[in-house]
Amino acid sequence: MSERLFVKVGKTFLKSPLILASGTCNMGRELSEIYDLSILGGLSSKGLTIKPRAGNEGVRVAECKAGMLNSVGLQNPGVEHFIKYDLDYMNTLDTGVIVNVAGHSTEDYVEMVKILDPHKDKIDALEINLSCPNVKEGCMSIGSDASQIRKIVGLLRELTDLPLWIKLTPNVTSISQMALAAQEGGADAVVLINTMLGMAVDIKTRRPVLRNNTGGYSGPGIKPVAVRMVSECYQVLDIPIIGCGGISEASDVLEFMIAGASAVEIGTASLVIPDCPVFITDELEAWCEENDTDLASLTGTLRLW
Amino acid sequence: MSKDYFCEVVSKTMLNEDTAYIEFLCPEIAAEAVPGQFVNVTCFNFLRRPFGVASVDRDAGTFKVGIKIIGEGTEELASMEEGDGTWILGPLGNGFDIESSDKYILVGGGTGVFPINYLYEELSSQGKAVKVVQGFRDASQIILNKPEYVLTTDAGDAGIKGNCCDGLNSLSPSDVEGTTVLCVGPMPMMRAVSSWASSKSLDCYVSLEQRMACGIGICLVCVCKIKAEEQGQEFEHKRCCKDGPVFDSKEVIW
Repeated sequence: MSERLFVKVGKTFLKSPLILASGTCNMGRELSEIYDLSILGGLSSKGLTIKPRAGNEGVRVAECKAGMLNSVGLQNPGVEHFIKYDLDYMNTLDTGVIVNVAGHSTEDYVEMVKILDPHKDKIDALEINLSCPNVKEGCMSIGSDASQIRKIVGLLRELTDLPLWIKLTPNVTSISQMALAAQEGGADAVVLINTMLGMAVDIKTRRPVLRNNTGGYSGPGIKPVAVRMVSECYQVLDIPIIGCGGISEASDVLEFMIAGASAVEIGTASLVIPDCPVFITDELEAWCEENDTDLASLTGTLRLW
Repeated sequence: MSKDYFCEVVSKTMLNEDTAYIEFLCPEIAAEAVPGQFVNVTCFNFLRRPFGVASVDRDAGTFKVGIKIIGEGTEELASMEEGDGTWILGPLGNGFDIESSDKYILVGGGTGVFPINYLYEELSSQGKAVKVVQGFRDASQIILNKPEYVLTTDAGDAGIKGNCCDGLNSLSPSDVEGTTVLCVGPMPMMRAVSSWASSKSLDCYVSLEQRMACGIGICLVCVCKIKAEEQGQEFEHKRCCKDGPVFDSKEVIW
């Protein structure tokens, strides 16, 4: 690994800006059969809740142009199961261990952080999911209200010294207001963006393709929106940004970093080309050689017109 | 170990107007794939398309898949010709257990006839007793049929009039006794076959299908309802791609 890929997200060191996004890598086991995950800066666990969740029923995926909709609905084995069976495994992968925390209420998030904090020596950061669009309560409904974001991040800040990365939803009127609220609450970083709320219609049955009616749109189609949001937030924030949304090649990573991201998450691309981070890493290293620069110095170098 | 391979088309035939049978060169997949496993094939559309392995020629290093044209992705893949190539991830999923029994009944319908074909190749080459029942809507839909198979059509214009269960009922008691039933087809057919097998106290394994994305168990979109192992839970959502696609029919919540 080239040192030129080293980045820092606040106090968290990552050996590469590439992190696998929550919900697109499970806990790492399946992808580790395909490539060596130690090339990554980190891996964000499947979104976890206090109790196990079976997730949504029926059709959960709809392909669309330049991406897909999903309505998995946070299917996960529950945080206790994760601590017992997955956390140690993730620590064997020689990459940053990010734990994605979801909940249905403020109390849920508080309880989750209380459960996870004693395991802080095995965790590099908590990614607080205030943005899943596929559950009825919590997540996105909290993440679209600045005062609730400020309050919840503030409560969690008092409970742990672990880095708190707040993953925000793009389904809001002003992303910078939400990001600022996270910063005011004491967040270490924000992750921009989770999926965009969407719908696909089956023209034969005149019903939504997804049994949940709506789902989260991800893939290359949302990249311009995500880059814009990163740029907008970079101009007003003091804390770092992790960019996410439609990244599938090295130039996407560069684009996000120039716009203001300190690191990035690769999500849906892993579902199509599971080992894409291998190629992206090679290309980023080559780019750094060619331009005789490291990646970290790229962050926020965008020159707006 | 599944990997992404660039595979070239070495032969292609149209089995009927909307179903292509394509042979890809890939010694690695040919060496590893067992009946019931599938591959995830790259097309111009965003997501890959999953297909059950329909036949393997290990000496030639090739495998075949059947592609029924359903939408844009399958239409494009079915239009591939000799010399064309695409990225294929595989082999994926858990295949059928073809070791534990010496006597099998295979039941296929729809695109399920493709994995059934590979099962038949393997089991007959091992010298095991195999009966095959295949069901189609009407005579025009019949593909990959063999003279020794029991054929049924809903329309009754070929073979036995009726569904796969009518075909199964035409087998002699000695053919049925002590067999293991392996079934691949549309859900209602697999459900009916599963209940037929249960009425005869036969083991039955089915290959479930759900809309899929990654094919390797990381996205959790292709789940099916399977009876829960833990008490207090009615069911678990298991991944068709990684935990299946083959499941014991007694475990499936239809």
